[in-house]
Amino acid sequence: MTATWLRWTPAVAVPAVIAAGVLAGSLPASARDPLPEKTPAQVLAMIGQHQTKSFSGTVEQSSELGLPDVPQVGPTSGAGTGSLAELLTGPHSARVYVDGPTKARIQVMDRMAERDAVRQGNELWLYNSKDNTATHVMLPAASKESRSHDTPAGVATPEELAAKMLDKLDGSTDVAVAEDTEVAGRAAYSLVLTPRSAVTLVGSVAVAVDGENGLPLSVEVRARGQQEPAFRTAFSSLTLGAPDAALFNFAPPPGASVKELAVPAKPNGTTGQADKNRTGKDLADKNPADRNTDHRDLRGHAPTVTGSGWERIVGIPAPSASAPSESRESGKQSVDRLLNDPLLRQATVTVQGGRAISTSLVNVLLTDDGRTFVGSVPLERLQAAAAAR
Amino acid sequence: MQRLTVRDSPAPGTRRRPSSSSLLASELKQLFRRRRTQAMLLALAAIPVVIAVVVRVSSAVPPGRGPAFLDRISQNGLFVAVTAMLVSVPLFLPLTIGVVAGDTIAGEAGLGTLRYLLVAPAGRARLLLVKYAGAAVFCISAPLAVALAGAGIGWVLFPVGPVALLSGDLVEPDEALVRMLLIAAYQAVSLLGLSAIGLFLSTLTDVPVGAMAATIVLSVVSQVLDQLPQLEWLHPWLFTHHWFGFADLLRQPIGWDSFGDNALLQAGYIAVFGALAFGRFVSKDVLS
Repeated sequence: MTATWLRWTPAVAVPAVIAAGVLAGSLPASARDPLPEKTPAQVLAMIGQHQTKSFSGTVEQSSELGLPDVPQVGPTSGAGTGSLAELLTGPHSARVYVDGPTKARIQVMDRMAERDAVRQGNELWLYNSKDNTATHVMLPAASKESRSHDTPAGVATPEELAAKMLDKLDGSTDVAVAEDTEVAGRAAYSLVLTPRSAVTLVGSVAVAVDGENGLPLSVEVRARGQQEPAFRTAFSSLTLGAPDAALFNFAPPPGASVKELAVPAKPNGTTGQADKNRTGKDLADKNPADRNTDHRDLRGHAPTVTGSGWERIVGIPAPSASAPSESRESGKQSVDRLLNDPLLRQATVTVQGGRAISTSLVNVLLTDDGRTFVGSVPLERLQAAAAAR
Repeated sequence: MQRLTVRDSPAPGTRRRPSSSSLLASELKQLFRRRRTQAMLLALAAIPVVIAVVVRVSSAVPPGRGPAFLDRISQNGLFVAVTAMLVSVPLFLPLTIGVVAGDTIAGEAGLGTLRYLLVAPAGRARLLLVKYAGAAVFCISAPLAVALAGAGIGWVLFPVGPVALLSGDLVEPDEALVRMLLIAAYQAVSLLGLSAIGLFLSTLTDVPVGAMAATIVLSVVSQVLDQLPQLEWLHPWLFTHHWFGFADLLRQPIGWDSFGDNALLQAGYIAVFGALAFGRFVSKDVLS
């Protein structure tokens, strides 16, 4: 009998060795020297000061927003152009190559496909291998001008800026430096922003900052009442130094359908304004009434903002009949486009007063009369905001 | 009985230990002389031929539909090989590997030739190793058959030129061929774990069909489990998890991470199921 047992020893020993190896590999390497203590302001200043202009690395992104997953089965390539929201579901991995401010390449590695964005100088190429399409964009040369605006001689140093930013944040957000973490094998400070508001859906935002050079290595957004991070993007590997220069030379392969996209030097008219309002956080600080007087022709069209800080709700009014037809078209188009996105359409549910897209971080309410309300707050708050007008 | 005559192992009477290389040579000869093995390789080679002919006689395929790369074939014949290799990953390749690996021990036992093999003092462990090596050689030749047939038929039916990678960069046809061989190597590595499973299952039974079917079913089950989001924690441990990862070899620069991950995973499966097969085979009563 002992002979039989001896013969089975490898069958027992091998899994045991593998299990031990996996366990040992998953333990955090604690031998590293702890990073010197820093205050939140110092860590923020590190981000502002970082001089890392050239690097290559792999970024892993994962989302648990509660949007439906895109199933990826069989030998077909993954969802490519079908849906932009697809980037917000499931895991994604991308390779990033950066060399200075004007050379960059991002490769989103889809299943059996790839989405590329290559920038060299003022030229930007977008390429999607799934449908073999390329988009060429000439970026306006004005970017140089705006950069020089950023750093005139007498402007605040990163430390001052960080302190100012902290002052501004302090009312709504608790900023702290948590225990050091390790991202892509590098020791990093962990800067944690926790909303003071009890209403918002956002639980906390954590940014890992490289302990040596101040490069942000990961961003993790947690939602209230959810174990896993709602959104996380982090370097899984990082190499400092200039990547191969040939990577930034891009020409669309023969057979690809190429589209030229012109970028207007100045955002023109109403559509540009609307876009800016939707994204620009700085505008939200202004009194909405001011803005309406600024743009009289846009009255009833500019997004309205209620609440402050993390409880902010942005309301986009319905395109009214009196508005210029061009802007109405574009407004309607953008809402249509949003709903045509197969993934978002799937995620839309009917609620009282309209339809809603609910994620663990952001809620969107599309009212029956065409208005749109967006905010990191529970849906009831959006409905209340919609009912208030 | 026919198999006995094919095998040129030393007669049971001579008590000389046959060398491992001669054992392996006879195993390979036996494997590749079988009609079944030849038919399976031919069937695999037929996949790219069918794809190429269909694309040739039909109208252009719109991009983004069907298997990836299908729309590129009419522009560049080398994509026949890539498409065929992609299409054969989920079922055709595991099917043939299942047949070969499931047959290793159970086939001999089913035919009653196993005890003769063991009478020749080859040693059970060595016999197991030789059997596994034979299956491994088949793992290498199966994707290679698809790749070479694909490159050949593509070259005959379509223009061949610089190949656009997934990243949009162009490489010359000779580098594209190297990448294709790399993909074949990736798939060979992918199949080694499945072969080890097949070898173990083959030691469990005297009915080769049972071992073959079980191996193939396991490869399908593993792929199904890999699609269930509820089992996300399990996914990195499934031997099929990296099977489609060879796309990274078609990027610029080549991403070697998935190749490494895959090799490590398959090595783990080979170690675990090799040890299980060893435990089972050396303690087994060979009655037939």
